[in-house]
Amino acid sequence: MAMVSTVDEPSMVFIARHDLKMSAGKLAVQCSHAAVSCTLNARKTHARLVERWRNAGARKICLRADDLATLQRLAGQAQVAGLVTYLVKDAGHTEVPPGTVTVLGIGPAPRRAIDALVSELKPY
Amino acid sequence: MGFRSFLHRITAPAPLGERLNEPCKMVCVVNQGLKMGKGKIAAQVGHGAVMATMKSGIEKPMNLEQWLATGQKKVCLKGRDAEHLLALEKLAKAAGVLTTLVHDAGHTQIPSGSLTVLALGPEIEATLEEITGELKLL
Repeated sequence: MAMVSTVDEPSMVFIARHDLKMSAGKLAVQCSHAAVSCTLNARKTHARLVERWRNAGARKICLRADDLATLQRLAGQAQVAGLVTYLVKDAGHTEVPPGTVTVLGIGPAPRRAIDALVSELKPY
Repeated sequence: MGFRSFLHRITAPAPLGERLNEPCKMVCVVNQGLKMGKGKIAAQVGHGAVMATMKSGIEKPMNLEQWLATGQKKVCLKGRDAEHLLALEKLAKAAGVLTTLVHDAGHTQIPSGSLTVLALGPEIEATLEEITGELKLL
């Protein structure tokens, strides 16, 4: 039965575009944009879930996607499933052109709901 | 604007303190003494950013508001090791900057409890420049 509780812990996932070849610092900044925006948005609509997520250690993982189309498809599927999503568009000060979509943030959401969406993706 | 947010706007208490006019940023200093992968670093910096955001909402709401209004600028810098991060934290505290330390739970890659990231701010850019000016971009 212990399995059940860990599977149900809320989680947040960042899906980053591997084709942009961002540096470690760039990737970290883009993911934290997603983290902050998802958290602030989720606090308005899923306040209890956010509290549960933070109390359980605010789990976050970073996965990689091959291209923009994958990000958009996953964002659509997550929204249909009723999850909080945020697409990060870069201001383009460095490395990539302005307006480039770099990262998709999903959650905090029940881990099962996230796993169902991103099970085929690899860790970044 | 929806009716409820309109109502909220006119009935909410006035924010504490002076409005800031200078741009704010958040700085995350990553412990380079640990061998973390790119995805690991991203998740740790994400922890730091969310924790720092929540903290500033309670302790320095004006900084948070200004930072969100100006595009929540973030910068990632390289720190040598845990001692370096702690030294920077001391400096920042002395300057009245909000500091957040991220310790890893150790599920992957590195020993449990390692100090991975120091998040500073959100704070006025010039104030942070004085503390982290000589650090290299990650």
